[in-house]
Amino acid sequence: MGFRSYLLKRLFYAVVVLFVILTFNYVLFRIMPGDPEKMILDPNFTPEAKMELRRQYGLDDPPLTQYLNYMKSLLTFDLGMSFSTRRLVWSELRERLPNTIVLFMVTFVGTAALGISLGVSSAANRGKFSEQLVMGAGLFAHAVPSFFIQLLLLLLFGYYWPILPIHGTISAPPPDGAWAQFLDRAWHLILPAGSNIVIGFGSWALYTRNTMLEALGQDYIVTARAKGLPRREILYHHSLRSVLPPIVTLIFMSLPGAVSGAVITESIFSWHGVGRYLLDATLQMDYPAAQGAFYLIALAVIISNLLADIAYGLVDPRIRVGAGAKR
Amino acid sequence: MPKKVRLMLCLVLAVAMAIGAMGMPGAAQVKFETYGPHVDEIIMPIIKDQQARRIAFERGESIVWAGLTQPADIDQAKSLPYADMRMTLGFHMFYVCFNMRKAPLSDPAFRQAFAHIVDRDNIIRTLFKGYMMPMSSFVPQVSSFFKADVPVYAYSLTKAAEVLDAAGYKLDPATGKRIDPKTGKPLAEIKFFTPTYEVAPTSAELGKILAESAQKVGLPIVAEPMDFNTMLDKIDISEFDMYGLAWSLSKNPTHLVSFFHSNQDVEAGYNRPGIRNPELDKILEQLDSAPDLKTAKAAADAAQLILARELPYVPLYSRPYIDAFNKTLVTGYVDMKGFGAASYNNQWTLLNIRRVDRTGKPIEGGTIRWALSEEPKPLNYATASSAYAWEVLNKTVDSLMATHPDTLEDMPWLAEKWDVGVWTVDQGERKGQQGTVITWYIRKGVKWSDGMPFTGEDVKFTIDFLKDNQVPRYLPNTENIVKVELVDKYTVKVYFDTVSYWHIYNADLAFLAKHIWSDVKDYKTFEPWNEPHPTIKGYSKLVGTGPFMVKEYRAGEFVRLVKNPNYWRLNPSGN
Repeated sequence: MGFRSYLLKRLFYAVVVLFVILTFNYVLFRIMPGDPEKMILDPNFTPEAKMELRRQYGLDDPPLTQYLNYMKSLLTFDLGMSFSTRRLVWSELRERLPNTIVLFMVTFVGTAALGISLGVSSAANRGKFSEQLVMGAGLFAHAVPSFFIQLLLLLLFGYYWPILPIHGTISAPPPDGAWAQFLDRAWHLILPAGSNIVIGFGSWALYTRNTMLEALGQDYIVTARAKGLPRREILYHHSLRSVLPPIVTLIFMSLPGAVSGAVITESIFSWHGVGRYLLDATLQMDYPAAQGAFYLIALAVIISNLLADIAYGLVDPRIRVGAGAKR
Repeated sequence: MPKKVRLMLCLVLAVAMAIGAMGMPGAAQVKFETYGPHVDEIIMPIIKDQQARRIAFERGESIVWAGLTQPADIDQAKSLPYADMRMTLGFHMFYVCFNMRKAPLSDPAFRQAFAHIVDRDNIIRTLFKGYMMPMSSFVPQVSSFFKADVPVYAYSLTKAAEVLDAAGYKLDPATGKRIDPKTGKPLAEIKFFTPTYEVAPTSAELGKILAESAQKVGLPIVAEPMDFNTMLDKIDISEFDMYGLAWSLSKNPTHLVSFFHSNQDVEAGYNRPGIRNPELDKILEQLDSAPDLKTAKAAADAAQLILARELPYVPLYSRPYIDAFNKTLVTGYVDMKGFGAASYNNQWTLLNIRRVDRTGKPIEGGTIRWALSEEPKPLNYATASSAYAWEVLNKTVDSLMATHPDTLEDMPWLAEKWDVGVWTVDQGERKGQQGTVITWYIRKGVKWSDGMPFTGEDVKFTIDFLKDNQVPRYLPNTENIVKVELVDKYTVKVYFDTVSYWHIYNADLAFLAKHIWSDVKDYKTFEPWNEPHPTIKGYSKLVGTGPFMVKEYRAGEFVRLVKNPNYWRLNPSGN
């Protein structure tokens, strides 16, 4: 099977998965205990007023009509109006998306860079104290609940040693000038992105170390050593390069986790992003808002998986050949 | 006054004094005035995390740590030398509800016996470290409708056993349970629903304490914590025996009608206990349709007497408002009964708060920072329904009447005076019947924040707009309004199709500026804070009559309010 067929097959699977997720998304919210109208009503509402409200929000439509309206609205990106903020969901998401992307990108690049470089260094220093320190710290940070580490850092750098901002993406009010505002935003990123990097670098370091150790034991590395190549060149030009394909795949595979992890980080650091929006909407039974946020996250996850599949197919031709052989 | 009532009042006072002795000071340091504001700017950073808000207060990035409920937080705030703790009684009520549709919960003796097993002192001391007020009334104690001399069921297991014995619920020595006099068999297990420990730890623990106390007198009550939404769903369809939850009430006793009239005993209705008492229904109807305060008071008194006897609920405690202000930064905040010093409903704090210099002396002008705990969207008077949005909007809008912070009485504000009368309905389904007519006499000289005059035309426009568009938030306000008549530029008559003194509150709204809103095509998607003012550069379409105006709103980050230069109460002369 050629790469094109492989790609088309993956795309078809992605569409099916998206359809199933969206259907589950619809059903789950409606079978959850609770009723969204309780978030809107107060005891002064008469039964007539309650009925009018349900009509205005389409809550009195038959479930199938609600489902069809829901699918239509998602596919056309007309995500409806939030029950709680009374604003268009897409406007709300669009407003938050850049903040989530910035936090995500900085976290992602920082985690990957730190994790991979520490993994390589640990492999090169196997058995030494530095390796034990990196592995120990990485495993500890990975094992402890993320919100605990984040609250700890918030307390440390926001309270006991108050040198960093504890909420938001900019100062209130922000400084004048584009450069000053850029620096202000970067300053506000330190705690949320930094805490994410602390939490996430361990798994990257461990994975890189293990694959590197395997690579360092290969014959071609022994040959390179025998030829007297510098240690640095062996590490980065020969060993690391050979383990990059699985690491690149891992990068894409870890994207969904990073997206969903934004919910906790954004909540703790009052980061105005999609994750926090999803959490608030779910707690408030705000169907349109929660469905919109889930839709966006589902899209991100499916696209990440698709990219991982493509990357895998590109770096390892056996995958697409194998898929064709099955067929 | 009966001895039991005196005892209860003494207990309330003792708890209040105990809290005071632990660090709550007396009155605010600046005399309460009805004009202001005294600061130029309020920055409201949006800090959603509770711990981050605490840190912001301790770092001086917020002048107030508002709405303290956790004993640990209150103790922490009290330990800060710069924190000025304010406490005011609130409208909160935690209660236990019985499903009166089921035996033996339908038996008043059973409910009265349960009321005797409730040790409010112990609960407040052990679960809340004393930071709650015992409550046994159906109307908040701060309300002028509160009736003190009603039967009170003091904690006494002996008394509870006596009541049960007298009603025929004899104790079975073999099982330790009471025998149902109707069936001759031991009482079946009675489930007491509470939210889970994860969601509301004190409510869950309280359920356990009450169940254990009930078991001591042979009542087989078992606490059952459950998911909050599941619990609400079960309550909606009356699939429960007992549950414990809280209400946030108001100064007026109209909640009694919603909670205890038989016509509210429907699926998802608010008469959750299912009380159906014709005598009570009649009195609640009198309360609902009272033409004046005197009639309303008499009906509220009579209703409270019946409820104290019938006990569809057993009220347990009321949470006071506890707020910590940074006294090295500000002074002038006003304690307002029922709302607290830092409430968005407290317009007096907004007018009176001012910065202090290093010596603690009040100074005029400057900026204060006041943390918001949630996104205040939408900043639209027609659609905003969350308390967070109104925390900002209430700073930009005044109403026709104000509420006195001590007496909670209505005071003239944008309306100089008003009349409440009766008319004969001339249209609609209730044509020919009696209705209420409210006449507002609007104060002259009041201006919108963009300098345009506020008149009766704005009042009429607002009510017509909300009614014509069936705006959800205002449906209870507008559904009984038949018409609005502009008598002259500053006199407006609002006609209702039923007789009720409470309509006066339905006709006092957050008014919309006609010169802005008459051009609004779709009020649902209108974002007045995002749209430039049609004539004034630098202003938005968020135009109000309040002491502040929104200068900048960055979603998710902060709201910046500045003093309204056209505010009508900038100085004592009112101009």
